[in-house]
Amino acid sequence: MIKLLGAVLILVAGTLIGFQQASRFAERPRQLRSAAHALKRLETEISYGHTPLPDALARTAAASPEPIAAILRKAAQGISSAEGLSFQESWENAVAEEWRNTVMTGGERAVWLRLGTTLGISDKEDQSKHLKLALSQLKSEEENARDDQARYEKMWKSLGVLLAVLIVILMV
Amino acid sequence: MLTNVFQLLPLDIRSLLERMPQEPLESLEEIRIREDRPLEISCGGESRFVAADGCLVQEPDGAYRPSAEHCRKLLEKITNYSLYAMEEELRRGYITVAGGHRIGLAGRTILEGGAVRGIRDIGGFNIRIARERIGAASFLMPKLMDRNRDRVFSSLLLAPPQQGKTTLVRDIARSLSYGFWKGGDTGRRRGRKVGIVDERSEIAACVRGVPTFDVGPRSDVMDACPKAEGMMMLLRSMSPEVLIADEIGRPEDGAAITEASHAGVSVIATAHAFDLSDARGRPELKKLLEQGAFSQIVELRRTREGVMHRVIQLQMRGSPQGSLDSGNGWSSLAGEQLMRAGTP
Repeated sequence: MIKLLGAVLILVAGTLIGFQQASRFAERPRQLRSAAHALKRLETEISYGHTPLPDALARTAAASPEPIAAILRKAAQGISSAEGLSFQESWENAVAEEWRNTVMTGGERAVWLRLGTTLGISDKEDQSKHLKLALSQLKSEEENARDDQARYEKMWKSLGVLLAVLIVILMV
Repeated sequence: MLTNVFQLLPLDIRSLLERMPQEPLESLEEIRIREDRPLEISCGGESRFVAADGCLVQEPDGAYRPSAEHCRKLLEKITNYSLYAMEEELRRGYITVAGGHRIGLAGRTILEGGAVRGIRDIGGFNIRIARERIGAASFLMPKLMDRNRDRVFSSLLLAPPQQGKTTLVRDIARSLSYGFWKGGDTGRRRGRKVGIVDERSEIAACVRGVPTFDVGPRSDVMDACPKAEGMMMLLRSMSPEVLIADEIGRPEDGAAITEASHAGVSVIATAHAFDLSDARGRPELKKLLEQGAFSQIVELRRTREGVMHRVIQLQMRGSPQGSLDSGNGWSSLAGEQLMRAGTP
């Protein structure tokens, strides 16, 4: 009886682990896309609206899904606080604190951090160029992420169950 | 007032200036920040360097030197982290921040087709602190009034930079708008409709279109608008009785002022010039004076006793032969009140 219960528990756990891994692969392209949308919006605010950066960040955050919104909000808060941070410092703090809530990887993080060194400190055309560059880099990451999703999502789903079954068989 | 400015400064410089003695802090006029060069302030018409412990020194040797990092942070802060939204300001070479303080910039210019498009590599800042002096114009007000015709003389205020022109013109606007003409805030008459063209946002220091300085209940402010266009717009739309503009001197300003003076609107304007003969050396001002657009000139001069002024009546429509108002012509803006306050 107890053996049976254990086997069921292992099966359930294995399945959940598999599904969780699979969902990371499914989530990554979605987050990359919303990150790209956010940058696109930021570019519009900057080059057409001439919106000051703190406002532009806040508005973009309001229109973006979490966890992207959290990063933008944090960066906007950092520069309006009284600590006298430069924009780059505030941006890097925001990425350092909020990045762990995303499923994005090192490549995207580098793109995102590079933006911190350029946003707000040059003229309109230059801002637009930097944002477009970041956008195209995120797009190519998104394609990679889609390939990965097609390849690994199903695999992880079945792998979890199969490994659990294997463990159960070995134990019995 | 100073908190507005101090908020913009990088932390190190802010705490340095806050350690300064109280008296120069109160009469602070300019803070000059230059990358890798001594930090300078000017107060009460004199300039001093700030040492690393907050003391004021005459010689630049022991003075505190702001770093490139400080300058970058300051630039970010005064542009609200948005250099891209400040292209027009960078083209003109200064940024006006909340509170009406003007920050002049110096650096390497970017040219496009021979014209300056902006400044980059900014290494010099001059923060000019705007002060609201309620009553600064009260001794001048009776002289601005044409009692026979119950209107305001069109006047041109002349002074070199940093003599208090903008402060004075702001208080003239306030007094006209409230109707305080007799000197002091007594003797109240009908207030006038005042149109202010505030190209540099210094007179009224508007934040989102609402003046932060008191410019009177009947004043309309066209904020951050080129003077010539602004004057025409106000003439057409707001039916002002008096138009106020700061620092005229371009050809289009002259045309707008001529237009206004023919429309029966009084114009009170300021210009950079040492005195009347100096003003006649500037082509646009000369033209305006010859056309009789102004009926009087007010010269300002800063002395140890305070800001002095001299009113010169111009003969209408004739050649501008100055006739002095009285005696040597110079009288103090602060008048007896200040002298009385000065003697214990």
